[in-house]
Amino acid sequence: MTERSFEGTLDSLEPIRDYVAEQAAEAGMDRSPIYKLCLAVDEIATNIVIHGYEEAGLSGDIIVQIIASPDAFEVQLWDHARPYDPNLHEQQSDTGLDLPLEDRRIGGLGILLAKDSVDKLDYVSTPEGNVHSFTMLLKQAGTASNGSEAT
Amino acid sequence: MALDIQPSVTGTTGRLKLTGQLDGASAPAVRNEIEHLLTQKLDRLVLQVEDLTFMASAGLRIIIFAKQRQPQLKIYVVKPQEPIIDTLRKTGFYDAVYVQDTDPGDEASVN
Repeated sequence: MTERSFEGTLDSLEPIRDYVAEQAAEAGMDRSPIYKLCLAVDEIATNIVIHGYEEAGLSGDIIVQIIASPDAFEVQLWDHARPYDPNLHEQQSDTGLDLPLEDRRIGGLGILLAKDSVDKLDYVSTPEGNVHSFTMLLKQAGTASNGSEAT
Repeated sequence: MALDIQPSVTGTTGRLKLTGQLDGASAPAVRNEIEHLLTQKLDRLVLQVEDLTFMASAGLRIIIFAKQRQPQLKIYVVKPQEPIIDTLRKTGFYDAVYVQDTDPGDEASVN
């Protein structure tokens, strides 16, 4: 397991993506699943910063833990912000996706993308902090089951 | 890399060339540029994204913002990279904007 701590601000979004991408590439993941994983992590990290810290009048870090195994690559985001469970917040539904753009809701797109981009997205709030876990299943070396590239 | 934004206007076509990564940190600057562009009389907004390597949902919200400001505005997304096309498809945006490989050019003035 490796981990790195980042300030819980929007300026950390790109460094967080870079760190996750670098670790995923070292684990042998291909570019497409890496992008999807980084997108999911970025969407949730953005919510942590904006809704968990800023809107709650709090400040703190986001700790990124990487757990790589032959079968799966997992990223955990730990924070001490206001709890924000992505499963409890309404994401844009399939019916809403057909609406004209000017009638679309602004919110919910990030959670939709995050859930759709990884094989598993879990959340738990503990006394030690809130944890979002993103899992990409590795079917074989260099591919992930979500958005896997044919070899 | 951060995001570089190059705005331009030709006739009633506004363009934003976006280079780099569009996320929650860089989105406000894009929104500000669009807001500025929409103070002019535009029929079309062309987003040149060939060199945009990452786009979070913040980019989609900007498109919604532009359409809500000006519902008749035609929005073009030119040469998006494959992951961004995927994002547009998943969220229902692909058919709501004009995704194409080439810039639509400037509209000829009609007398």
